[in-house]
This record gives sequence, C-alpha cells and structure tokens, in this order.
Amino acid sequence: MDKSVLRTENLSVSAGKKSILNPVSLKIPGDGVFGIIGPSGAGKSTFLKTLNRLCELTPGLQINGQVFHRGVPLYHHGVDVDALRKRVSMIFQQPVVFPTSIFANVIFGVRHTETIPKKDWPDLAERALRQAALWEEVKDRLKKPGKELSIGQQQRLCLARSLATDPEIILMDEPTSALDPGSTEAIESLIHQLKKQQSIILVTHNMRQADKVCDLVAFIGLQDGTGTLLASGSLDELRSRNNIPGFEDYLCCE
Amino acid sequence: MGKAAKLPKHNRFCAIKAASWFFTSLAFVAVTAGLILLLVESIPVWRHSGLEFITGRNWFYRAREFGALPMIYGSLQVAVIAILIAAPIAVGAAIFGTEFLSGRLRIGLKIVIELLAGIPSVIYGLLGILLLRNWVYDSMESLDILSGDTLLTAGILLAVMILPTIMTLADDALQSVPRAQRMAARSLGLTATETAINISLRGAFPGLIAAVLLAMGRALGETIAVFLVVGRQDNQLPESLFSFQPLVESGQTLTSKLGGSETNIAYGEPLHWGAMLGLGILLMIMVTALTFAGLGLQNLARRKNET
Amino acid sequence: MKRKFFDLLFRTATCLCVVFSCAVLLAIIGFIVKQGSSAVSRAFLTGEITGAGASGGIFYNLVGTGILLATTFLVSAPTALSIALLHGVYLRNYRHREKITILLYILNGIPGILFGIVGLVVFVQWFGWGKSWLAGGILLGFMILPTVSVTLIERIASIPRKYIEAAAGLGLRQSEIVRSVILPQSAGGLATGLLLGLARAAGETAPIMFTATIFAGATIPNGIRENPVLSLPYHIFILAQDSYSPEVNSRLWAAALVLVILVFAMSIVALPARLKIHEEADHG
Repeated sequence: MDKSVLRTENLSVSAGKKSILNPVSLKIPGDGVFGIIGPSGAGKSTFLKTLNRLCELTPGLQINGQVFHRGVPLYHHGVDVDALRKRVSMIFQQPVVFPTSIFANVIFGVRHTETIPKKDWPDLAERALRQAALWEEVKDRLKKPGKELSIGQQQRLCLARSLATDPEIILMDEPTSALDPGSTEAIESLIHQLKKQQSIILVTHNMRQADKVCDLVAFIGLQDGTGTLLASGSLDELRSRNNIPGFEDYLCCE
Repeated sequence: MGKAAKLPKHNRFCAIKAASWFFTSLAFVAVTAGLILLLVESIPVWRHSGLEFITGRNWFYRAREFGALPMIYGSLQVAVIAILIAAPIAVGAAIFGTEFLSGRLRIGLKIVIELLAGIPSVIYGLLGILLLRNWVYDSMESLDILSGDTLLTAGILLAVMILPTIMTLADDALQSVPRAQRMAARSLGLTATETAINISLRGAFPGLIAAVLLAMGRALGETIAVFLVVGRQDNQLPESLFSFQPLVESGQTLTSKLGGSETNIAYGEPLHWGAMLGLGILLMIMVTALTFAGLGLQNLARRKNET
Repeated sequence: MKRKFFDLLFRTATCLCVVFSCAVLLAIIGFIVKQGSSAVSRAFLTGEITGAGASGGIFYNLVGTGILLATTFLVSAPTALSIALLHGVYLRNYRHREKITILLYILNGIPGILFGIVGLVVFVQWFGWGKSWLAGGILLGFMILPTVSVTLIERIASIPRKYIEAAAGLGLRQSEIVRSVILPQSAGGLATGLLLGLARAAGETAPIMFTATIFAGATIPNGIRENPVLSLPYHIFILAQDSYSPEVNSRLWAAALVLVILVFAMSIVALPARLKIHEEADHG
C-alpha cells in the first residue's frame, strides 16, 4: 500500500512552448514537514500550486502528468476541485488578508464552505487563532480590520484562516520571506506544533529554515532554464551525496 | 496615473512650456467662461421665479410660467429606468469577463464593448424611433397607451446606450481587486462564484457604484436619442412617483427640452431664455454631482485595494 | 451540491449577460447593414442632397462632417498636448496634476447639449457668426478634449523612466528632453486619443445642431459668418423625425450605415493601442 499522502507522477508544467517544470515524480509522506528547496525561479511555487490544482487558475499554464492524493488521481474528470483545495490549503509568500475584520477573516472559509451554525463561529475562531498562536494578541480586537495587524501577525491570521477549515495538508509558499526575524521564528515554531495534526509542505529557499523544520526535502534546481527535481531525501543525506548538480552552489550561495 | 517624469530643472524660457501653459489656460478660461455665461444668462428666471423654478409643476412660456419639475422628473425617471435595466446586465457581463474569461475571449469582449460604446447616439435614436417605439407600443397595448413615444421607451434606449459605459467601468473596478485575494479565497475551497461574490464584487463595490453613478450622469445628459423617442410632452408630472402608468406616457426631459425648437424661440426674450439656461444649469448640477460622487467612490476603491 | 448548483447558475447567468451584450451589438450592426446597404452606392456618396432626402446623395454631408472633424482636430490636438505636457512634465506638484485630471473628468461629463447652448450664445449671437462650421469645430474640439488628453496623459506616464533618465544623463535640458524623448514617445498616444475623440465627435449632434449645421442648402464654406455645413449626424437626426416614405427610409439607413462605418473605422484603428493601455494597467 502506498503510504505517501501525495505522490506526483511525471508531473510537468509549461507555459505555451516554454517548459517551466520538467516531469517530477515524487512521494511525499503524510507525517512531518516536507521541504522543497532550490534557487529562486526554479518553479518551486509552481510545483506547490499543482498539488491543489491552484495553478490551473493562472491562465496559460499547461499541466501534464498526475498527482495522487492517497492513491486517488487529482487531475481527473469529476474531481471536486473546490473540495480538494479545502483539504489541501495554501499559505502564500505575502500574507493575503481580506479587507474585513480579523474575526471575519478567520471564519471566511468556514462560513462559505461549511454549514456550521453561526453561534459556533466564535468558538471555532478562537480555536483556530489559538492554534495559530495569535489569540492572545487579538482577542480584544476581533472586530478590527485584519489589515491593522503587523505583517507577521497577518501571516498567522492567514494560517488561522486555513486551520479553521481543518485542512489535511497545508502548502506553504515561502511563508516567512516577507517577515522579520521575530515573526519568522514564531511561524517556524508554529510549524513544529502543527505538524502533529497536519501534513505540511513548505517551500523555502532558506537553508537555515529547512534545517530547522523540515524532516525531508526535495531539491528543485534549474537545468537549461527549466525547473527539475534533482534530489530528495533528508537534508543530511543530500549533503552527504556529492553528485547532485547545482546543490553545492546552492548551499554556498545561501 | 504614474509619477511624473523627473526632469532637470532649468530657468531658460522654453517655447513648448510657454505654449503648454498658454493653451491650457485658454481652455480653462473658455470652459469656465462658458459655465459663468450659463449662470449669468439664467439670472432673469431666478429673479422671476426663485426656487419655484425648481419646484414649479407648470411650464407655459407665453404665460411667463416656468416650472422645471416635470422635466427633472422626466430626466431622473428615464435615467433610473436605464440604470435598472443596464446595471445588472453590464455588471454581470463584466463579472463574466474578469472572473471566467481570459486571453482572446476577454479581448473579444472588450472589442464588443468598445464598438457598442462607439455607436453614435443619433443612430441609437434612429433605431429607437423605427424599432423600439413600435415594440413598446405593441407590447404595452393592454395599458391603452397613446403612442410608443414614452419615458419607458427612452429609458430602454438609454439602457442599451449606457451598457458599455457601465461594463468598462465595472471591468476596471473588478480588475483592481488584487488577484492574490481571489487565489487565497480559492485555496480555502470557495467556488469561483463564491469568490466572485465575496471577494471580487465586495472589493469592487465602491467602484461598481461609481460606474453606475457615472453612467447615470451620462444618461441624464444624453440628448439626441432621448429627444427622438420621449414624446416631448410638457407638464407631465404624475401625482405618485411610484405608479407605472406615467412611464408609458410621453414626457419631457431637461435635455429634450433644451434640444427642441423652443431654444431657438427663446433667445432674445431674456426671461424665457433665462429659463432655458436655468434648465441647463439644473442639468449641469445633476451631472456634475454624479461625476463627483463617482470619482470620489473610485478614489475610495483605489485606496481600499492598495497594499 | 447546493454550492455546485449555485456556481453553475451564476456562471450561466453572467454568461448570458455577455451573450446578450454581443447579441445587441450584432443585431444593431446587422440591422443597419441590412436596411442600408442596398442604397449605398457611388452615386449616393458623391451626389448632392435633393428632394429633402428622398433622392440624391450625401456628398456634402460627408464634406461637412469632414470639415468639422478637421477643425475639431486642429482645436483639440494642440490643447490636449499642452494639457498632457503640463500634467506629465511641467507640473511637479501631485495635487495640481490631480486637479487637472478632475477638471478633465468634469468636462467629460458635461452633456453635449450644453456645449450647443453655450455655443449658440457665444458664436451664433455674440460673435454674430450665425451658424458656422468654425463654431461647430471649436465646440466639438472642447468636447473631445478629455478623451484626447487622458489618453495622452496615460501614454506619457507610461514612457519608461530609463529613457528620460538616459537623456538627462546625457546632459540634455528639459526642453530638449521634451522634444527628443517625450514628444516622439507620446505621438502614438496623441494619435490614439485623437482617433477616439474624433470617432466620438463624428457622431455628435447636440453640440452642432444650433451652431454649425443645417439640413440642406450648404456646400463648401467660403468664410466664417453665416457659413454652415451639412453633416451626417444632423442629416440622420432630421430625417429620422419625419421619415415615412420608403425612398427616404432606405437613404436614411444608408446614411446611418456610412456614419457607423466612419466611426467604427476610426475606433478600430485606435483599438489595439487602447486595449494595450488597458491590459497594461491591469497587470501593473
């Protein structure tokens, strides 16, 4: 039996004639944090977005190959894409806070995708905010606009918003690259907490972060201008191998 | 509008710069003078009627009685009918264009909008007089109407005319909602429709209202097409604002009055002429108020969608 | 399931709005072509108006509209260029530049009929011109000023800064930069704006009906005073009001077809640049 939560099979992405990502076949286990590392512009984010079919919303991208979620093919007619995206949620590089109150932000997904009675929303919001370690900071100003929070708090608000819908997998696209060191640390320790319940797939180009939070990593580098999966395994394993093209350059430049 | 290009300063006289100031000032002075002229020439009627010019229900120029209310009613009525018909369709089409179309199809839709906007109003008027008028007459027969020249006819015609105006502005408003917000909503599992309603429409709301207000300004100011189908019947003011019957009767709008032959008769008789220009000022005030409100809302929307 | 159904319903409803808009355009164009194409001929385009529109052609209407548009061009081109240069180059204060934009939007909102009324007082009466082509051209020129200026302002704002910086780096003075970089770079914007504006002016009736144009009996003007022209939109406007003979009718539609072709031709030439500006604005 396939124990991986997500498995890609010859998954490639192109924009018109230009190839963005060479075929990737990768198994992502369900427990722990799976990191995707590599130089910027190598298609890490694009790869991440194929995992919940979010990349289909970018006009002009063609996706070939297949992704299996617990053995079930995702690129298949009849897959409920909206339900999939709810199970496989995504956190972006820049926090995307909706122009509404903190409270409305947290329950945004729940209110539109689930039939939870309105009276349960506050409890749910509190639970999600606690999970995102934001509750103590915002409990007295839930009605204030989400945009008033600091950028680090905003990112945790986005995390709480995802957590409120109880996703199985959280995709994180360089979630700390816009944040200050303090907020980065907060998010990193959150990831440690969250990985007990959720599978987390984290794109990062920060090796320190990868060392700190990732159990396994995949290295996606550039070959002839196209993103290519060059190695995967634990970081120590990757370091001990010396035949991964571009990996040493990547390590030393980081 | 981007930042102005920073150019090195210098103090020497420059012909292009001088000419720019000259022509711009000339245009500014000319337009301002035109507006002042409207005001000054209308003084006689304000002296004669005061505010009753606005609230008066009768216009009999031979009896020196000038009341603009029926025309204000007519103008607002046709504009409101036009908005009620056009706004849902135009906003719906703009939503489909921004949320569900991309690439060539989207460009195609934009071309359709541009062409629709390009058709001159006299052509719309012609279509109205030869097609729409009969259609309204036939389909409202049960209401025992006298002719197809009605406020409703003018309203429907205006609806088609302002359709592209609202569509363009609504499209701009929807486009200004950041894509990232749509993506974030979709990644929470919202359907495209839920995202369109809760993110795009909500974010673009002030801009959409602005689109409607600006289009209404255009509808109020439209002359030729309305002139041809509205019936130009003076002193038609219903007792109740909310009955349907007055809509299928002939009426008069501010613009159809100004575009009519009375304008030629009135000149030379200061009071009558003043009354005509008074109508012009009322029109100007209504349109400019809508323009200001629309621009204000657009500004608000822009600030809302920044960051 | 309810959500899926609603999603489908919403897509269908908004799609129908698009279909409706396209259908309206096609219906209008189709109808005008069907009604008018039979009467459009060489003789129609080169003949003089006779029999109150029942016979003859629209030659002098085309000439008149051409004269009005040429005048409009001469009035609006330098003025719009001046406004855009002031906005994009000479005014440094953001507030002042914003004021220009607001004034342009207000001017854009002023109904055409008010231009006609003011023109009637100023040109027809005070200047004693009677109906004159020059009055019509000036009024139309002012009317399309916002369209032309705003297009040009957008164009100037989108000139890559590096060009200007490079020119400044060469030690060119402001006036030289305007002449060597900004004017050539914005020429396309001026052309686009003028085409759009003139397309609008070509179909306008309200500003010229009291000031510049008559239905029959004018040829080529030989002065300013009492020198009206015929014009295409006014021709249609008058015939539309009393057109019950089939002879008039087919000629009326033929004139409408010619006007629509004229206007569309100008808009379509301007279209690529216009769409480009818009799409750029979408992504920037």
